[in-house]
Amino acid sequence: MSSDTPTVTPPTATLPADAETPAREVPRIGFVERATSWDWLLGAFAILVIIVAVFTTDNFTNSFNLESSLTRMAAKALMVLPLAMLIIAREIDISVASIGGLSGISFGMSVEAGAPFPLAIVVALLTGAACGSLNGVLVTKLKLPSLIVTLGTLAMFRGLCYVLVGGSPVSGMPEPLTDFVNGSVPGTFIPYAIVPFLLLLPIAGMILHRTVFGRRVYAIGGNPDTARYSGVRTESVLFRLFVASGLAAAIAGIIQTGITSSASPDGLFGFELDVVTVCFLGGISFLGGRGRLTGVAWALVVVIVLRSILQLRNVAAFGQAAVVGVVLIVSLLLVNVAAKVGAARATKRTVAERSFDNTRPHDIGPDVASTATPTHNQRSTS
Amino acid sequence: MNPTKPHRRRLSGVAVLATLALAVAACGSDADTATESSDAPADDVETTQEPADDAGVTEEAGDTEASGECESGPITVGIIPKLGDDPYMTTVRDGMQKAADELGQGDEIIYTSPSEATGAAQIPFVQQLISSEVDVIAIAGSDLDSARAELAEARERGIDVIAFDSDVATDSRTLFINQAEASELGTKMLDSMNELLDGEGQFAILSSTQTAVNQNAWIANMEERLAADEFPGLELVDVVYGEEKADLSATRAVELVTQYPDLGGIIIPAGISLPAAATALSDSGDLGDVKLTGLAPASLISDFIKTGDVQDIWWNVTDLGYLTMYAAKAVSQCGVDGSAGTMFDGGELGEFEVGDDGEVILGPAQIVTPENVDEFAF
Repeated sequence: MSSDTPTVTPPTATLPADAETPAREVPRIGFVERATSWDWLLGAFAILVIIVAVFTTDNFTNSFNLESSLTRMAAKALMVLPLAMLIIAREIDISVASIGGLSGISFGMSVEAGAPFPLAIVVALLTGAACGSLNGVLVTKLKLPSLIVTLGTLAMFRGLCYVLVGGSPVSGMPEPLTDFVNGSVPGTFIPYAIVPFLLLLPIAGMILHRTVFGRRVYAIGGNPDTARYSGVRTESVLFRLFVASGLAAAIAGIIQTGITSSASPDGLFGFELDVVTVCFLGGISFLGGRGRLTGVAWALVVVIVLRSILQLRNVAAFGQAAVVGVVLIVSLLLVNVAAKVGAARATKRTVAERSFDNTRPHDIGPDVASTATPTHNQRSTS
Repeated sequence: MNPTKPHRRRLSGVAVLATLALAVAACGSDADTATESSDAPADDVETTQEPADDAGVTEEAGDTEASGECESGPITVGIIPKLGDDPYMTTVRDGMQKAADELGQGDEIIYTSPSEATGAAQIPFVQQLISSEVDVIAIAGSDLDSARAELAEARERGIDVIAFDSDVATDSRTLFINQAEASELGTKMLDSMNELLDGEGQFAILSSTQTAVNQNAWIANMEERLAADEFPGLELVDVVYGEEKADLSATRAVELVTQYPDLGGIIIPAGISLPAAATALSDSGDLGDVKLTGLAPASLISDFIKTGDVQDIWWNVTDLGYLTMYAAKAVSQCGVDGSAGTMFDGGELGEFEVGDDGEVILGPAQIVTPENVDEFAF
């Protein structure tokens, strides 16, 4: 992997005259560009939101509030990770919440049928993987658009929940589970419910930003045809992403089952709103090929804190959903504007330099354009 | 220069985690110092946590005692309805406010608004009220179990929990304020029909769904009483179902009237069906020849009740809220711990006794007639 580490350092990196960056040893990305990149802006915004919350909202710093705010996001956070990768690869899975619900139901029914706890977990994971596989087959083999496919399976998997158990939840969830997800790491307010996400976040980051697989995801999103002609087996990559999405949703479903002490046919209902919002707010471009998990992590912080503020201010659930909807739209707009500004800046620089640097916007993610134009990848800059 | 790039990227990732950790640590210490420095809430936390630690494994068994210290001043009560915008629930809230005003201690009422009638949707609101350190949570359970863990958490933290309208798990709350005994409602409906028909004539039943538990129990009870010749003049000719749908219920009512020319009345034990049937039969001109009674919010059919052609079995929803507030007060002041036989003050409604499993019955449901219809705000 070290041989083809993506490098986009311009061969002739002379700085444009108007750059504010001091002439360090051939800086690849100027300070201003970095400081105005989406990740960093979002990070600053997240910290701002936290500060605002601490000083304006009573009980925000109450450790129980911090704990329960994290718990409320635990299931959603897990589903964000594979979804971010899918969106980078120009696909989407909006059926995640329904997969989570169905996995939760299969978990609950297994427990009710007397299956031991670990076996029930396996059943739930298999359910999630099967749902993800179905999405994957429909998208990669039958070439159907993922938005429509997963809209269909969203309704289908949710309907199946009701077919399986009727309207009434399955109660009597195993105590190890309910104790675990409702407890917190001793001495902190970190609920165990969010721990699976905290463990998976760096792993997902490694996969997306440090492996060949991750670069292929970006390559597909940058330009699927180019990726295919370059030898990327796009179908295989996408299929695996859909299965990963199903598996993450299954873990989320099990956690939610523990939080509610019962497997409900409407478990995780409506969770896709927050999940999709976090991805787009995190700077994942709906055009594919752009965005980083760093931004997604910041976006998660923003949504958690925002929801916590609204909850503590006794805003009705409908009002909270409306605010999250606004955040979704605004983030789409802002990311779009940021990308355009970045592109303009890069173009200007390219013209000024007359170099062969590709015209990718630097402000979204260093990996992105390099993999979007794989022919540049192998350029050695040593 | 090659190594700088991955390095930088790693840095930005580390920055996220570091800031998170910092924020988290800062908030954590804030919370700690807040608890130590501030007076009253800190004491709450101390006193409630210690017994919980001592109790260890047995803390769940002794959960009726898990509630906090006894309040004497004003209290804050958080209401968690099934749905925030349900007029039934806002009427309950108004009843609670009425009681709070009457008590005159400056008690505060926080009304929360879940957007879905599911137990899971109630969880964030339980957490919100715990964070806000209210004294009592009054919840209308959307289901028995979903909020169990959080309600247990609330009680561990010294917040009293009572249920109203619909129960949560018995071990999650101290009291359940029930509007009426289910069995009594069926009895009252047949009595009301007997009164409307002067003891003579055919009637039918327009129920909700074929699987509705309460409705089927009431119908079975009516059939038993008819079989026992308690009402020799009454004849039950048919039972049909409106499936909880207004349009279908209206159609069924009209069909019954057409099918049975001598039909004198219809019992409609379903809140959606009774107003729909009354409107449909009024439009077709049959209301009057055919009398209706059943179970529905009195305010929805008050115009029909005033003509004397329709009666209703209902309870005063404002009173339900009023009693809930008095119960919240009694529980927070340690006057009531949920054990059967305890008495507490219900203000203008009189004294109430706690029954088995901590259940308190608001009182007999009433037959709503032209004389008393104006007493029902909902």
